[in-house]
Amino acid sequence: MTNDVEKKTVTALPKFRPNTDVVEREDGFYIFVDMPGVGKDDLSIDLRENELEIRGRVMYPRQENAKALHVEFGDGEYVRAFTISDGVDREGIRANLKKGLLELFLPKAARFKPRRIEIQAG
Amino acid sequence: MVIDFSTYYDLPRSMDSFFEELWKPSSLSQRRMAYPPVNISEDTENIIVMSEIPGMDTGDIELTLNEKSLTIKGSKKSEVGNYYRQERPTGNFQRIVNLNIPVQTDAVTASMKDGVLRVVLPKAKECRPVTIAIDAQ
Repeated sequence: MTNDVEKKTVTALPKFRPNTDVVEREDGFYIFVDMPGVGKDDLSIDLRENELEIRGRVMYPRQENAKALHVEFGDGEYVRAFTISDGVDREGIRANLKKGLLELFLPKAARFKPRRIEIQAG
Repeated sequence: MVIDFSTYYDLPRSMDSFFEELWKPSSLSQRRMAYPPVNISEDTENIIVMSEIPGMDTGDIELTLNEKSLTIKGSKKSEVGNYYRQERPTGNFQRIVNLNIPVQTDAVTASMKDGVLRVVLPKAKECRPVTIAIDAQ
């Protein structure tokens, strides 16, 4: 019973599309996702086939006796999905959450990396 | 392009997000209007200012307290590399929070956790409610 109630409150959170940067560097792709207020335990990153889904929940502690004067942000869930092509080395995907900023590194598969071709003097 | 964005092609999801936009809580109507977003609340002893500034070092955020206002100032750097998509704001930002009542300037504390700044400004003693005992005669 209590479980049901809990579930309901969780799903009722407003969903937000977090601001995201996608940057390509020589070694791969970097995805930066703004997730202020999300701790490591509230973040999930799932890779299903080609889809990488990021979910982060933010719940600000209730302030007892405090009165809100001005509100611009609040509790919510950040949800965002990316489709990943074969050019990415899945095993090498790394994630790092620091100061409310999620950094995903998607290394390029070896065959997509820039490669210098040696010229042989004949 | 190596990465493409499913949201461009996935119609059900874009429909969903369209309706989510409509259902956005009205209490957050000012979201995304100014950067960084700020929440202000008060209890009997303090004014609490919270702000979402993800990915910033505390040293790069400048907090200034004047007699009547609190200023949050800083600068966000952009990442190095070839951008495919850029939604996160970069550059200088500043937000001024007006304080209607005097605060104890020397007792103000600020902390930052998970990209959320929290400034606690204790109200000046003369502004706190005082209970006055009534002598029975």
